[in-house]
Amino acid sequence: MMLVKELNAALERILTDDPRVVLMGEDIADPYGGAFKVTRGLSSVAPERVLTTPVSEGAIVGMAAGLAMSGYRPIVEIMFADFLSLTFDQVMNHITKYPAMYDGKVTCPVIIRSPSGGHRGYGPTHSQSPEKHFLGLPGLTVVAASPYHDPLATLRALLLRDDPVLLVEHKLLYAEALTLAVGGRIGAALAREESSAGRLPSVLISWVPPEVCTVTVVAYGYSALIAARVLEQLAIEEEVFGELVVPAEIAPLDAAPISASLRRTRSLITIEEGTEGWSWGSEIAQRMSVEAFGQLRRPVDILASASSIIPSSREREREVLVTQSDMRQRIRAAAA
Amino acid sequence: MTPVSVPWTDVNSESAVVSAWHVPDRSMVRGGDALVDVETSKALLEVEAEVDGFVLQLVPAGSEVSVGEPVALLFDDEASMVAHLESRAKEADVPRESGEGGADEARATAKARARAQELGIDLASVTAAGLITVRDVEAAAGSSPSAIAPSEPGSPLPGDAATQRLLLIGAGLGATQVADILAETPGQSAIGIIDDDPAFWGRDVRGVPVIGGSDQIATLWERSAMDAVVVTISTSVSARSRFRELCRAAGIPLANVIDRRAKIASGVRIGLGNVVCAFVQLATECQVGDNNFFSAYNSFEHHNVLGSDISTGPGCMTSGEVHIGDRVRLGMAVMVEPKISIGADSVVASGSVIVHSVPPAHAVKTKVVTTAVVPIRDPGAGS
Repeated sequence: MMLVKELNAALERILTDDPRVVLMGEDIADPYGGAFKVTRGLSSVAPERVLTTPVSEGAIVGMAAGLAMSGYRPIVEIMFADFLSLTFDQVMNHITKYPAMYDGKVTCPVIIRSPSGGHRGYGPTHSQSPEKHFLGLPGLTVVAASPYHDPLATLRALLLRDDPVLLVEHKLLYAEALTLAVGGRIGAALAREESSAGRLPSVLISWVPPEVCTVTVVAYGYSALIAARVLEQLAIEEEVFGELVVPAEIAPLDAAPISASLRRTRSLITIEEGTEGWSWGSEIAQRMSVEAFGQLRRPVDILASASSIIPSSREREREVLVTQSDMRQRIRAAAA
Repeated sequence: MTPVSVPWTDVNSESAVVSAWHVPDRSMVRGGDALVDVETSKALLEVEAEVDGFVLQLVPAGSEVSVGEPVALLFDDEASMVAHLESRAKEADVPRESGEGGADEARATAKARARAQELGIDLASVTAAGLITVRDVEAAAGSSPSAIAPSEPGSPLPGDAATQRLLLIGAGLGATQVADILAETPGQSAIGIIDDDPAFWGRDVRGVPVIGGSDQIATLWERSAMDAVVVTISTSVSARSRFRELCRAAGIPLANVIDRRAKIASGVRIGLGNVVCAFVQLATECQVGDNNFFSAYNSFEHHNVLGSDISTGPGCMTSGEVHIGDRVRLGMAVMVEPKISIGADSVVASGSVIVHSVPPAHAVKTKVVTTAVVPIRDPGAGS
């Protein structure tokens, strides 16, 4: 089933199962059902807990913080991840700090969902992947939806925890099928989940046994889907074999599955759609330079989008964002 | 036949919902008639028939379709619509293959396909955990001897019953060294050589025939065609170790092959399966394990303790009381200071002078003074 429907079904399920869950966001109630239809139909399931809000991201997240401290489990939709900047004060100065400022007497488990990413020609302020600005905020967990992680399992795991969460959903993933590892495989690829205690799982995918792979590719969200396609092509057409590590939780970093793969392949490339520099990949590169110093065959490669605004023209957008051919070229080089 | 598709009206919408059909399924319509209402995230659209014809609905009201995807087909006349329905029914009867690519198409890399064709291997017979690779194809070719059509493996020599009849493992250059030593060793004779590379089968090394792959070892032992085995492979300690284990499991003894010019001092204890080349010294009270390959001009000084499955290059020299662990590989001309210990599975580069002990599974690198080779200038030239 398409990810948008999986997400919709998962949200419906937790709304039904857990009376503490409240969905909030701009135009999320029917008949509009949200800009990307993730919440379509849910306002009929629980009209009193699916709330269309005024157009003020700071106010929405502030209200969610109040609800969360009162025992509810608010799940907020920010219509485009580009607008997350308007929630930043609530996240940085309030939601993540309340538990410590109130001496552990409160928790503030707000979940903020937001569609991110480009390749749609939506222009500079509706195409970004700004999650990197939220990485490393003390107390905040950042999760990325992927075709390899069950949204229901993810949401249920997050509801068992008390930390605030930013959940980014690349908008191109909504129309993609959810493909979970079944019996050690995803389609023709070998796949398995690895996770450290209390963390969401990372999914490891390869087209030949991992021992044969000569590069570890770490990517999340939509980039992971494209990286998987590239790795399959490289395997079939060129016998260049890589192991793809797809974390659900991108911050804090669960380094164990990455370093385990790296011990096998001794070469690493990170891929993200966010802008280059001061990025998710830089953090991984630094961590792995400590964990795998002396074992790496070559310096860690970080593939990210250009440090630029995202043009509206699709043609020009491709020059800025990480593309499939960038991935192919850089993964091939890293596997050598 | 013309498809009726959801028009692309705004960049926000990837999909639309069919809200209502205005005409019954399979009915006749006129060009310009409203066929169906679809709702995108921004608008409710009415889709009209472009021409006269018969409409075949592809999706029911309430379902979601991608923008650009057809929601109906428009046929010129009823007969072509009926023909289309019949062929669609026929297609539905064909059972669908499970998985990707169909059952008869094994998943393989392009290079593996080419290699399989070259070797005459049927990809369906090749097993692999993931995609079938060149390596998998070659492994399959190696395990089915008919595939590569190698030379017919020879038969073992009868051997002299008065001597220890040896089966050599490995038909490479190590075998020539061992065969050379055996030629001068009256009490031992080589009856054959085993190698897993079919390219060697049917050939001989110094008159000793290569008689097949490692699956032959147990057979020859059961037939009492040989008395012991010696591993001649010097380039891979893991191969040495693997064959020693294979013989141990089958209860087949290993034999030492020692050049008559080697110096074995008093009090030396030496295991089995060791190849000791010319001018090797094992000085007083050395203890040596099993299955080592010591190249020429190695000198192990007094009270060395040497493990098993070790392989050395020529000209290595240790001082007294040195310990060398299992599966250590020494390059050539390695010098080891007294009382040094080199841990198991370590590798030492040629020309190293070892002054500190080496932990297990470490590599010792060294800077070698390299030389440059240049043509000699002709003193007469240019004058």
